[in-house]
Order: sequence, then C-alpha cells, then structure tokens
Amino acid sequence: MTQLILGQLINGVIVGTLYGIVAAGITLTFGITGIVNFALGAFMTLGAYMSWYLTDRVGLAFPAAIVLSVLATMAAGVVADEALFRHTRNNLINGLLVSIGLISVMQAGIAMTWTATPQEMHFVLPGVVQVGGVVVPKMKGLAALILLAVILCTYAALTRTWVGRAAFAYAQNPEAARLMGVRTRLLQSGAFVYSVGLAGLGGALYASLYSIDTGFGYTYVLKGIEAAILAGIGSVGGALVGGILLGMAEAIGSIFLPAAYKDAYGLVALVLILVLKPAGIFGGHK
Amino acid sequence: MTTWHHDIARAALRCAGATCLALGLAGTATAQNVVKIGDLEAQTGPASVFGLMPSQGVRMAVNEINKDGGFDVAGKRYTLQLFSPDNQGNPQQALVQVKKMLEEEKVQYIFGPYLSNVFNAVAPYMQQYNGKVLLMGGATAMHWALGKPNMDFLIKTIPWDTGTSGYGSMMVDLLAKRGVKKVAILMQNDAGGKAVVDIYTPMFKERNIEVITEFFEPNTKDFTSVLAKLAAAKPDYLFPGYTDTALYDIVRQATEVGLTHFFIARGSIGPGMKNAAMIDSYLAYVPKYFEQAEKTQPKVAKFIGDYKTFYKTSFPYDQAPQCATSCYDHVFMLVDAMKKAGSVTDVPKVKAALLSMRHQGLWNIRYDATGEAIEDFDIVEIHRGGKADVTHIEPK
Repeated sequence: MTQLILGQLINGVIVGTLYGIVAAGITLTFGITGIVNFALGAFMTLGAYMSWYLTDRVGLAFPAAIVLSVLATMAAGVVADEALFRHTRNNLINGLLVSIGLISVMQAGIAMTWTATPQEMHFVLPGVVQVGGVVVPKMKGLAALILLAVILCTYAALTRTWVGRAAFAYAQNPEAARLMGVRTRLLQSGAFVYSVGLAGLGGALYASLYSIDTGFGYTYVLKGIEAAILAGIGSVGGALVGGILLGMAEAIGSIFLPAAYKDAYGLVALVLILVLKPAGIFGGHK
Repeated sequence: MTTWHHDIARAALRCAGATCLALGLAGTATAQNVVKIGDLEAQTGPASVFGLMPSQGVRMAVNEINKDGGFDVAGKRYTLQLFSPDNQGNPQQALVQVKKMLEEEKVQYIFGPYLSNVFNAVAPYMQQYNGKVLLMGGATAMHWALGKPNMDFLIKTIPWDTGTSGYGSMMVDLLAKRGVKKVAILMQNDAGGKAVVDIYTPMFKERNIEVITEFFEPNTKDFTSVLAKLAAAKPDYLFPGYTDTALYDIVRQATEVGLTHFFIARGSIGPGMKNAAMIDSYLAYVPKYFEQAEKTQPKVAKFIGDYKTFYKTSFPYDQAPQCATSCYDHVFMLVDAMKKAGSVTDVPKVKAALLSMRHQGLWNIRYDATGEAIEDFDIVEIHRGGKADVTHIEPK
C-alpha cells in the first residue's frame, strides 16, 4: 500500500505540472490584462495537434516539433490578442465572453484543419524507470521535468528581471508603472502571448502522453483555474504548487474512493483550502 | 411593334418555361420513386470509432444501388435518398436530427444508432411513430427494449453478448478454461459502460471468476491512479472499455503498471496492435478480422477495393469491423425486404420480411424472433509482438 500511495503521489506531481503550466498562464494573463482566458485550453489543444501533426505526419523530430508547435501557438496568440483581446483589457466579463467564444471557433478550426477523430502519437520515449519500486513512465517523467523547469524559469524571470519587475509594478499600479516608463500595451500583449505559449508547450508535451481530441483542453483549463485559485490568483510559483496539489488530491482520492469521481476530489481539496485560507495558499504573496 | 429580337426573346422564354415544366414534372416523378432512408451515427468526435464506418458503409451501399439504376418493387423502380447528418455522439443533437428526418423528410427507415445514450434519447420520441418507421441500430440498450410494448420499430443489427451463440459467453468460457480467477473491469461511467458491467459481471461470477469493478469519467486521459489500484489487486485480465479513445490510453498506461492481459468486448484491436511490444494477451471480440477475411472471402476483398475507390483513401482495418452494425449489408437487406414485402411504405410488412431473411454478404446475417441479429464473428487474440490468432465462429 505504501508503494501504491508513493507511486500515486509521484503521478500526482507529474499530472499536476500539466495543470500548473495552464494555471501559470491563467494567473499571468489575469494579473496583467485583467481577464481570465478560458481559451488557453483551446491553445493547448492547438499545441497538441501541431505537435502530433509535425511528428507523426510531417516526420519531424519531437523536440523540433515542440519548438515549432509553441511558436505556431504563440503566433495564433498574437492574432487573437490583436483581433480580440486587445479590446477587452481589464474587462473581466467581456474577456470571458470573448475567450469562451474563441474556444468554439478554435475547436472547429482544428477539426476542419486536421480531424475531429481522436489521434494517438507514436511512442516518443517508450518504457518506464523504477524509482524505489515505484514505476514512472519515461516520457511522463521527462515532460514533467520540462514543465517544471519552464514554470520555475518563468517565476525567476518575473522576480529577477526588469520585465518581471515591470509586470509586478503594472499589476500593483498600472498608472504609476506607465509613468515610470513601462510600455504597458506591449507588456500586456507580451504576457498574453507568453501565456498562450505556455499552454501550447503543455499541449505539445501532452500529445506525447495521451490521445488527443479537439475537446481535451477544456478539462485542463478548468483544472488550471482550480489550481490558480487554490494557490491564490497572481502567484506563478503558487500556480505550480496548486496544480501539483490538485493532481495529488485526484491521484490519492482515486486510491481510497471510487475513481469515477476523481475530478470531485480535487474540488473538495480546493474547497477545504479556501475555507481555511480564502485568498488561496499564496494569496497576498504575489 | 415587335422586332426580331423580341420574337427570339419570346421563343426563349417559352422554351425556358417548357424546360422548367418538364424538369418540374420529372422532379415530381423522381420524388415519387424515392425511398428516403436516414443514418444516425457519430461520424466525428470521440465516439466516431463506432459510427464512422457504419455511416460510410451505408453511403457506399446507397451509391451502389442507385448507380445500378435502383430497385423494383411491385412494378415500380425506386432509388434511395440518404440523410446522413453527424450527431457527434450527442443525444440532443441526434434527437433534433431524428425529428427532422421523421417530421420534415418523412423518412421511414433509419440506420443506427450504435450508442446507447443516443438510443435512450431518441427512443421515447420514436415510439409515437411505432409501426410507421424502423430503427435499425446496434446500441446495447436496444436489447432490453426489444419486444417491449410500442417498441415494434426496433431491429438490433448486432448480436447480443450472452446466450449459447453469444460472443461474450464464448470469450468468458475461454477465460474460465484458462483458469482465470480474477478479472478487473474498468468502464466509462455512462449508460454504455454500466450496461457492459451489468452484462458481464454475472457471466464471470457464474464461472467462479472474481470481478473487481471501477468506472472512470468520460474524457479521462490519465488512468494511472485507477490502474495502479487495480494492478494492486493482481487481476489475471483487465477488461477495459469501451471506446477506442479510452482504450488506447488505458492499454498503454496499463502496461506501464504491469497489466498485460486484456479482455475486450467493445472496441477494436488497434490498441492491442499499437502496444503489441508490451502486451501478453489481447483477447477481443471482432465482428470480422478484415486483414484475414480479405484473403479468403471474395466479397470482403471486393468491399475493401470498392471502399478505396469510393473514398479515395486507405482502408481502415481497425474500424472496419464496426460495419457489422447498421452498415453496408443492412441496406441491401432492407432493399431485399422491400422487394419481398412488395411495398416500400408498409413498414410492418417490410419488418416481417427482414426477420424471415437470411442474408449472405460481408456477414451471414439473420434475425431472431425479437429482431436481434445473429451473425458470424471472429475472436482474435493478439500476442506479444503482434501475432494474431483468429477463431471464426458461425452461430448455430
């Protein structure tokens, strides 16, 4: 039983990094542009389809496919930002409506461009590694490490670079940041597109782990929002922790309770934490 | 005063009018000799593995029949007109499509659905048309509706799991003979998944095989937790289901936690083939193992060739077995039944003709008294490395 629990804790961490990357995008977009971008799930789907297409159909090496998928997703993000989200800055409701509408458009576009039939990428890195009797699939472990590194680098960039400090300054007081020379429009667009890129990366790696279909991103954006709220909106490092906690709650809950209600266990953890800390675990430590 | 070009214009108008009239009459005449049929399957989306092939098969059959000039019933020549919307496995969408077919298009014969949730959604509405329409589908839930009051409009086009000729009974017997003591069932938490559990749990228990059951939510992709939990119970076989979308993920992740023996009663052999390097046994009910049948059965070889020509694509061997339900053969059966009944509109007569027939096409199909199909099938076992053993069963 100990081994089973330990294995599921590790699995929870791995799955949690996927929730965490989406949560980081959500919290970053919300902090800088004032909107909750539900369409991040659709951008994640786009990244997954690009990665599958470039690897399985075009025959590119998986690392090259990941890079191109992220770039293509970011390009789509630039278009979406310029055409739609630029007009919804700091307007939560309008941003929400536009992002929800964009999900349908993107899902239909993906289905028309490729296929609505679920697809399976070939095995990029087959096999498992055994860590103290606990089995970890190699590709899952690698994907989690990449996501972990990207989230930590994002956190470091936000806390240790001028752009990061400018973003924090803008999040605290937009007017003062503008007066101090922060190019706010560029900052907002940059944060939006970077968040889309994070989702695209999550999707590109996801395609090497699970089967893909046009609707899977929706589940992940909901988990990402849960993770962001769990951590306390505004904390990128916290988003990772929130994602991991959510992943672990689902994994451990599935061992002791029926697996059919796996999603509910994460929600119960969310409610419990919000009862104890209404601002989330890292609320107030942005 | 008229000029020469006015005369030409008048003549052209008269000519156009006459042409329109002629076309209109021709159109009316054609409309009178058309039998409208519908198709109610998921052609896209996660459940399309069950619906795309049947839809494509129906379209091919309709094309072949019409290309040959149609068919004669009671001295009149008819062609088929097909309505084939994609319901994506969405019950509400399917209900709207059925209403449109029955109320606006006056369709009397509908092929499908394979999905139980779609059947459960459309059946109460279709009861209003009992005796006036036929619904010929493969949904598991149809089995329990056959023979019930106001359910005469049903014909189940795929055989049932249990009974002496049931593929499920035979496969469970096979496990019992192998000395299997414990099976873990992992099914989708919906009508289809619960029906499979209800059908198979008693069969396993009758043969002293212990059953552990877990369900998962639709759209689940990471099964690691539940599979690890099931693996800890050390089952001899894992019985997962029921869509290929889930099966690809489950089989791959199951091998990662050491589960390498699979029992498949719904779904294709695709997931077994893809993971052939990591599995030990993938025992599956396959309505027809097309890879082998293509070499031994001329009708199958012709069908595969025609499919490639018609759709200008490669043949989907993994999805093709789904053509056992409401597909190519069934359109030809319906046409033969209309000929035998001497009517295209007298639905009870056409149904009676269908139930009395034996069709030899891609499958050898007949119906029992309740309207459930009895047809030949294959049991395929894939071994590590991809070697497949095929047993062909011809029910008595």
